[in-house]
Formats: sequence, C-alpha cells, structure tokens
Amino acid sequence: MPVSAWGGRWAAVVGALLVTTSPVRAQSPEGLAQPSTRAFLDRYCVTCHNERLRQSGLMLDRLETADSGGAAETWEKVVRKLRTGAMPPQGRPRPDAATYDAVATAIEQALDRVAAASPDPGRMPALRRLSRTEYANAIRDLLGIAHLPKGMDLALLLPADNSRSGFDNLADLLFVSPTVLDGYLNAAREISRLAVGDPGMPLLVDTYRVPSELPQERQLEGFPAGTRGGTRIQTYLPAVGEYRMAIDVSGASREVHGLEVAVDGDRVGLVEISRAHGESYELRLPLTAGPHVITATFVPPSGALSEEPVLRANNRGGSGATAGLLGQRLPALAAITVRGPYGGAGAAETPARRRLFVCRPASDADEAPCARRILSTFVTRAYRRPATSGDLDLLLPFFEEGRQAGGFDAGIQRALERLLVSPQFLFRIEKPTAHASGAPARVSDLELASRLSFFLWSSLPDDELIDVAARGTLRAPGEIDRQVRRMLADPRAAALATNFAAQWLFLRDVETRRPDGGIFADFEEGLRRALLRETELFIGSVFRENRSVLDLLEADYTFLNERLAKHYGIPHVYGSHFRRVALDPAGPRGGLLGQGSILLLTSYPTRTSPVLRGKYVLDNLLGAPPPPPPPDVPALQETGGDGTPLSMREAMERHRVNPVCASCHAQMDPVGFALENFDGLGRWRTTGESGDLIDARSALPDGREVAGATGVRDWLLAQSGAFVQNFTERLLTYALGRDLDHRDMPVVRGIVRGAARDDYAFGSLVLGVVESLPFQMRRSEAARMARE
Amino acid sequence: MTITRQALPRRTFLRGVGTTIALPLLDAMVPALTATTRTAAAPIRRLGFIYIPNGVIHEQWVPAATGAAFDLPPSLLPLAPVRDQVLVLSGLAHRQADSMGDGNGDHNRGIAVWLSGVHAWNRLRNGGEATLATTADQIAAAELGRHTQLPSLELSLEVPTQMACDSADCFFGNTLSWRTPTTPNHMESHPRVVFTRLFGDGGSPAERREQRRRTGSILDSVVEEARQLERLLGPADVSKLTEYLESVRDLERRIEAAETESAIVSLDLPERPVDVPASLYDYAHLMFDLQVLAWRADITRVFSMLIGLEGTNQPYPDIGVPEGHHGVSHHRYDPVLIAKKAKIDTFHVQLFAEFLGKLRAIPEGDGTLLDSSAVLCGSGLGDGNAHDHINLPTLLGGGAGVFRGGRHLHYPADTPMTNLLLTMLDTAGVPLPERVGDSSGRLSLA
Repeated sequence: MPVSAWGGRWAAVVGALLVTTSPVRAQSPEGLAQPSTRAFLDRYCVTCHNERLRQSGLMLDRLETADSGGAAETWEKVVRKLRTGAMPPQGRPRPDAATYDAVATAIEQALDRVAAASPDPGRMPALRRLSRTEYANAIRDLLGIAHLPKGMDLALLLPADNSRSGFDNLADLLFVSPTVLDGYLNAAREISRLAVGDPGMPLLVDTYRVPSELPQERQLEGFPAGTRGGTRIQTYLPAVGEYRMAIDVSGASREVHGLEVAVDGDRVGLVEISRAHGESYELRLPLTAGPHVITATFVPPSGALSEEPVLRANNRGGSGATAGLLGQRLPALAAITVRGPYGGAGAAETPARRRLFVCRPASDADEAPCARRILSTFVTRAYRRPATSGDLDLLLPFFEEGRQAGGFDAGIQRALERLLVSPQFLFRIEKPTAHASGAPARVSDLELASRLSFFLWSSLPDDELIDVAARGTLRAPGEIDRQVRRMLADPRAAALATNFAAQWLFLRDVETRRPDGGIFADFEEGLRRALLRETELFIGSVFRENRSVLDLLEADYTFLNERLAKHYGIPHVYGSHFRRVALDPAGPRGGLLGQGSILLLTSYPTRTSPVLRGKYVLDNLLGAPPPPPPPDVPALQETGGDGTPLSMREAMERHRVNPVCASCHAQMDPVGFALENFDGLGRWRTTGESGDLIDARSALPDGREVAGATGVRDWLLAQSGAFVQNFTERLLTYALGRDLDHRDMPVVRGIVRGAARDDYAFGSLVLGVVESLPFQMRRSEAARMARE
Repeated sequence: MTITRQALPRRTFLRGVGTTIALPLLDAMVPALTATTRTAAAPIRRLGFIYIPNGVIHEQWVPAATGAAFDLPPSLLPLAPVRDQVLVLSGLAHRQADSMGDGNGDHNRGIAVWLSGVHAWNRLRNGGEATLATTADQIAAAELGRHTQLPSLELSLEVPTQMACDSADCFFGNTLSWRTPTTPNHMESHPRVVFTRLFGDGGSPAERREQRRRTGSILDSVVEEARQLERLLGPADVSKLTEYLESVRDLERRIEAAETESAIVSLDLPERPVDVPASLYDYAHLMFDLQVLAWRADITRVFSMLIGLEGTNQPYPDIGVPEGHHGVSHHRYDPVLIAKKAKIDTFHVQLFAEFLGKLRAIPEGDGTLLDSSAVLCGSGLGDGNAHDHINLPTLLGGGAGVFRGGRHLHYPADTPMTNLLLTMLDTAGVPLPERVGDSSGRLSLA
C-alpha cells in the first residue's frame, strides 16, 4: 500500500460514488482522451491543486500528461482518489458517476500503456531468508515431522520475524543476526538428531501446560462425548522405548475422578485422581517412535452413583476455576511432562527415517555411495534445485566424521545437521542475470518453482514441481496453469488461509487480546480458540472451493461448534466439533464482519471501539486507510456533566463537531457505529455500555445511510472494486515478498481485470498473480565478475 | 484457586540441583581485569540498559528538590532500599525522535533513538533502506565483549506482534539494539532460550567442548560455502550474505572465547526454565535472575532489555490496571487514568529496584556486583500522553564511588540523553566514538 507522502490534512471522503474497476465501456480515441482528462482536471481539481496554492503539495495544473510516463506516481494517486470518490471533497462541485469512471479509466489506460512499454518488475534482493513459518513448513515437508516436541518448538528456537504491512515474509525485513543464526544451529542439531533417532541425544523433557484460563468442565473440541477438559499433545518421539508421563493436576477432591490417557486414540491408562493421592501422578508407557497424539481427559465415573451433581456451565470470571454446581472443586489438568525414551531400543521406522533413508547400505563398501544418494536427494529437496557434486563435497566430510564416530546413521545425522544451516537452505536465492541492457529477465524455471511453492504453500517445492522445473518444462504451454491448480488442491495450500489471510487480517493479534474478566465474564481460552477456528475454516473454505473473494464479505454460511453457536445465539448446534452451518442471508452474520474474531480484534479490553472497527474496514478491506491520529487527542468523555454514562455516540460527539477531528473520523466512525450491535466479543446486543438502546444507523459523509451490520455489508459490496483491488494488492505483496509501489498498480489492475470474468474467484486471482510480470521476472543486474 | 499457573516459583528456581559448570573464579578475574579494564579510569565493568515504554507521569516521578536531600516521589518509592545507589536524572531529551516531518511513529522512534540518538527515518522515504546506527550497548559490547563468551545479551519481555502500528516501519520498535546501522539485533524473549544461550545444553565440560568443536567446524564449512555463493551474486545484493557471514564470525568468536576459560570453579546452576511465567512480575524476575547469573559468571558484560515494546497495550491486572498500558498512557488529563499510569510506572521502578537489589546481594572483591556495574533504566518517551521526547525518565543505578548515588540531578532543557550514554561508555573504559547520535559531550554527573 503506497504510503501517502502528502503532509497536512486532506478532507477525504470515502464511500461516495464508488465505481468498480470494470473493463472500459466508453472507448475514446487517444486524441480525445487527453483533452477530456485535462478538461476534467481544470474544472474540478485545479482550483485547489495548482502551483500557487499547492494543496497537499499537489500541482495538477503543471502535471505532465499520464501518457508521457512521467509523474506516474502522482497520476496513480489521482486515480485512487477518483476511484474511491475521495476527491473532489464534499462541498465542492463533483462530477457524476459516469464521468468519474470515464476519466479514471482513461488515466488508468494511459498508465497501463506506459507500464507495458517499459515493464519494471520491481526490486527483489537476490537472497531472502526463510521466515520462521517457511522454515517450519520446510522441516515438515523434508522430514515428515509436523509437530516437533515442545522443547524443539521453533517458536522457541527461532526469534520472531519482523513484519510490515502485516506480512512477515518481506525480504527486506528478514534480517540475519547472531541470535537467529544461533537458533538455526541449535535447531539443526536437535532436529537432525530427532529425525535420525540418534540414541545419544539427550532425553526429551517436554512440559505441556494447560492454560489456567481454559475451563475444563466441558468437552473440548475433538474429544469424545462425555469427557470433560484435558489436553491434546502432538509430538514426535525419537525412538522406541519407555516414556514417563508426569501428570500434574490441581483441585483434586475427595472424590475419585478418572483421567483417561490415550495415545493415537487408544486408551493406555486410566489415572484415578483424588486428593488422597495428591496432585502428581505418573504413567509409564511403552511407545513407538514417530508422530503421536497423546490426549488426557476426564471421563465420567463408571456407572456408580456420583455425589457430584450434574455439571453446569458456570461463570468462571476468566480465572479458569472449575467448579461444580454446588461450588465444590473439580480437578483440572495442569500440566503433563513427557520424559524419555528410557531403555530405548534405538532407531526404528519413522516417517522421518523413511524420508531420509532412501537406501540402506548393504555392506561397508556400500556406505559411501548410499550416503551420496541420500544426501543428493535431500539437497535437491532442501536447496530446491538438483544437487551438484560441489554440494556433496561440502557435506561428505561431515558424514565421514559422523560415521567414524558412530556408524552410518550418525554420519547421516551430522551431514543433515550441516545441511540445515547451509545458506542455500536458509535463503531463497535468485541469481542475477547478465543482461547488460537492464531489461527485465525471466527468473529461471527452478526459481519460478520456488516462487510458486512459497507463495501457495509457504514451503518447499515438491518433487514433481522440481522435476518439471529441472527439465525446463515449467513454462510449457498450460503447465503453469496445471501446476497452480494442482498446488491449490493440495492440503499444503492451507497456508494461504493460515499464513496469508491470517496476516492480512491481523488475526494473529486475536491471541493477545485480553478482554476484561469483569465485563466479559464469558470469555475464556476455549472461546478464543473457537473464534479463531471459525475464521480459519471459513477463509479456508472460500479459498479451497474457489469461491469469489467477495464471499468473504457476504456468505450464507459459517463454521460453528456448540460453544460458539451459543455465544452467537444460534440454536440447534450441538457437539464440540466444528461443522458448516447455514446462516440466514438477511441476517447480520455471514462474512468476515460478522465473525467474533474480527470483532474482538477491533475492540478494547473493556468496550467496543467504532473507531478501531471503522479504521480496520477502511484499511484492511478497502485499502483506503485514514491518516494516523495526532498524538495529543483530547479525552473521550465517558460520562456526561451529571456523571451519567454517555452512549458511545454521545461520547464521540466531538469527533463529529470538531472539524479537525471530523475530517478523518467522518470516514471511520459511521462504519464502526453501524457495527455497534456486536459487542466486544462479537455477541449481538441491543443495548450499549451506557444502557441505551443501540441505534446502528449511520450517515456516511456523502449522505448515504448504512443501517446496522447488514448495511455495512451492502455498502462494502457496492464497493467490490475497491475490495478486490485491495485484496489483490495484499495477495501480490505476499506473493512477491516486497511492498508494492505505484509502478505495480498497472499489474494489479491487470490481475483484477483478468479475474473479473470469473467473478473474482480466488483461483483466478492467484493465477493472475502467478502470471504477472513481477512474479515471472526480475530486474537484470550484472553479476559480480567470477574471480580467479 | 489452586490451578498451577505457568509461573515458575522463584524459590524453586534458585534451588535445584542442575548441572555444574566450569567457570572463571570471580575473584581470580580481578587481577587479570585490572590490567585491561579495571583501572581508576574505567571502574565500571558491566553495562545494562533497561527500557520502559510509554513514558511516565512526570508529576509523580520527578522529585521536587535536587541534590541529595530529596523526597522520593510516589512512583519512585520502590527505590528506597537502593536509593543510595541510584541517580535520578531529569531534563534529558532525545530530540532526534521528534517527528521532523516524518509522520507519526513516535513510539517506534522512541525505542530506536534510546541507545542510538539517531532519527529512525521512515524506510520508504529513505529509498528502501532501513538505517539507524550502532547503538550504545553494541559500542560497549565491541570492547567489553572481547573477553567474554557472549559479547552482549538482548532480552525482551514482549514478542513483536503483528499489530497495525502508527508508522510505516514498525520493526524499528522491535529492538533496542543495532549492531551496525543496517543490522538490528533480535531480542530474545523466552527464558529457556536465554538459558541455553548462556549455559548451553548442559552436560560435562568435555561434552560441551566437543559440542563447540563441532559447531566450529560447521561454521568453517559454511563460510566456505558462502564465499562460493558470493562470487555468483551481484554486488548490490550481497548484503544479506554479509549479514549471514558476520553472524557466523560472531558465533565463531564466542566459541573461541568460551575455549579460553581459565580457572575451574563450579557454579550451581538452577534447572533450565521451561516456560514463560504467566505473571509479568515473575517473568521479569526470571529474566533478571538469568541476567544476574550471566554477569556473575562473566559470560557477558553488556545487556539491553525491553520491559515492553513501545506502544504496548500490555495489561497489568495484578496491580489493578486491566486496561492496557497504551490506553492509560493516553490519559488526556483524566485523573483516574493518570493514577493507573502512575501505578504502572511504580511497578516498573519496583522491578528495577529489585534487580539492583539482586546485584547488590552478590559479593565481588570487597564490594558487590552492583558497585562495578552501571544499569540505566528509562524511556525514549517523556510524556506518553503527548508522545514527546523531552524530560525523559532516567535512572542510573550502580557504580558506587563512581556515580555518587542518592541524588537527583536536573539538567537544562534539551540536554541530549546521548551525553549520558557517552559518560557510561567512558566509565566502562570503552573507547569513545566521536559522538553517539546527537551527543555534544559527556554528561557531567557532578
């Protein structure tokens, strides 16, 4: 999103007279296009934006024409203002919708022509470090380890990445520091030992704590009916052996409660929890190596008449206290610590070993050739290109040393450890081409394969993609199309929902929201997880089913479980698992703005915020952010002169009355007010914090009214052009790993036009991005002279 | 409610069998250090920098009187037990964090400027380059870190989030420490990772030596590979590879430094922390305890620490402020909010005072660890409500005999805080650069 470089305030107005970026209807011959644009500017713009007045630093009387190619940046800003109807401002003579469209289109066409004549794919560095998410996915795909043991959690071993525009995969911000390199070294050592099943690695000691804010008196998602509370652990065990699980509970009572422990769905133990026994228990289990799901949950006592009355959902005040109906304690699971393996029998078949050991040496003499095969395969996958003898020359010394110290497997482990810190693994490398002319050049097929897989999967290209690219057939007619469709259908494409969309919408910040326990007594961790799950499933469904991205704004379904349905007041949804639920199309829910995750995200701990919600909609959905606030904003009075609490509208009256405030708040507040029926947790309400009835009608600055959440939705859909354009800009930013600027706007427009045919289906936008100039090409730079 | 919380009780942390680890004898270090660092001109051996966000309430922070006979204002009351070891400084400023037409990023600029004295320009104005300057802690580390295993330690109690922020370059606000003008240091938030960085995986000295050897050979090989890559890349794009190589060399140096351990003494280590404690108080104390251990074992002599990111909305429910720090810092003169912000300020001062107390409890030579350390605590924002960068809250702890503590010193308006950074570097015997940011000379602490 180009940041406006204009200082000062502009009396911006959003939401009036929006037009979609539809293909041009009125075709003007080139000779007339200029005079009509010039005439338009002279009539509507130059009064303020001239050399003498220089409103906002803009001099439109002196601007060279868009056809000339100069001043493209300014022209792009002009177009954006025209498309959003922000200029001319209210109170000045404004053209009709058809004229807006015609002039904006003419300018865009001129800009697009200029861009087509001198294409510029933008600056991309030759090296880009993998983000932490990409690294984790690479480990998953290389070694088949989806869930590392807690002690090797990458969120622990590697520092968080920086983000800008919401995305953490921007090349310029993926710095390398000794801390991060230290993290890579540690991760490489631990992961390689885990994958090979090194018998010498230290015992795992992994403690999984259950958040105290998670209530445990009801069934958790995915657990069997009749159970309550507990936890699910997903881990990867290095070797066969005995594993000791130390179970810590709290609130053990006189009564005996049964805690069922299961591994991969099969019960392995029933621990009897009672105060007599205390708060620590231990289970010793023989387990195989590899991935395991360990669950522990409380089961109802078998048959016998229980002294515990029927469980009811109780007000917990957010503290996680678990209480039965009469207030007596129910035991809750506090933590499970997994230690092991003891008495290990050593290496066994695991997914990682199967991935790694593509051959086993038949004899001592066979060890070196087998190692070469194994490492070649691995290098090809890890470095995203066919392995060379140079690669092996760097790795084999480590294999040798390891083999001499501990045998073949140890050798492979050392070589793998070395591989995982190679700059060719840790960085995405795009070699500069040597075009002296400076014309953009296509990235190589292998580089394109990486761009594709990191865009669609946030991970390594798979064997098929590397193979096609290595043979030079990736750009054969129809091949890219085929690959994109294949990749979108692959489960790894879930990354587009969990990585791209979650960052675009700032969903990760939902994890850090802390609604005040006094005001929002209903809030607990289970609800937080459910809110996030709903949005994750919803966005995933729109992407996977190749729906129009406009369905994100308006959909007749969502995903709910019983907990969430009760929260929303939607009846007849039972059970802890999530399932698709049809929604009343005329109702307020349906689409992102009806989902609690986003409504929670845009609220304060103690109350809603129409300003935050309005800003969120304008910025993240429409790509038209209001300018930032000044630092010393005067107080929001929450009570009137007589001490009675003011309604939200009354409190924000100053936004409307003070013209300095109004210039920006006139855009944000109405949208936020129209969403006031959703409280700080996304529940529907009819009275606000002050006790007054909520009036969710708002007047937009152009006089149009939006009424309630459905009104906001209709208004957004009326600006589908802006939404799709913004979505495409975010998608392109994420796909390229760099911020966009004015030079990319013709590309964005082209992608949007291309997808209009399919009603902006997600897949069409993805294909448009993949086929675009900056995705397929890079600028030419002279390579450093190969030396001596 | 007795559900076990994530907090690791401090008692059990400091108890615990743990591994024994070979370390230099503290006192045996003194003769060696006398020759290189501990001279009359360089009486301070260790530097710490602790950052508190969102400014403070001045009326409850700045003592009315100057000199030695001042009453501790409400926010500074927790300093009472260590009062004689703390200098309260008022009137300092970081004008380079002002907007200068660069838009609204006061919070991010506040962090960026604190140890650099340089304006953090919006990257898009600067042609895409993110540039700041080498920060004071890293200037110190270049000198003081030459003889320790870790040149410096960067800690943070808050992980960078993805919140939309008020300027184009939020990542400026993610770290206090920059190694070079273009390479920020990551700050570490997880106590377990900090422990591992300080003390390794444990194991016997022989095992750890073997581990270091292996890591060293990996690093050598990686350098070779990176050189081959360099030849393929254009000059403009080598920057990331350079960052990588510099990080490699940094780690190689640490290995060398760890190899030259001299006298062998066992230090009982606590168990490796497992989790981030749930309460901010326990979390801060855990990280402080690790820092104290690191200083005591001379693993590093420089650290910087973020109590919170600038602009953080961290809630403080345990002291009666559930609302979120940033919200109450914009009090707009509402007395209720002012009182809440002051509570947060007091809480931070308490953390600082307790940290100084821990250092004071450790004997060193004929004094304490605190006597030969200088710990700065403060903010790059003065008045959080107005987002200004003048009258910065600044506390300087430690350095008995060097900084005569127990006084309130007030400076003329706009005295650069960078002058204080110069003074701190000077007392630690760090060769002074010509300037640090906008410094105009050393600050007199007379």
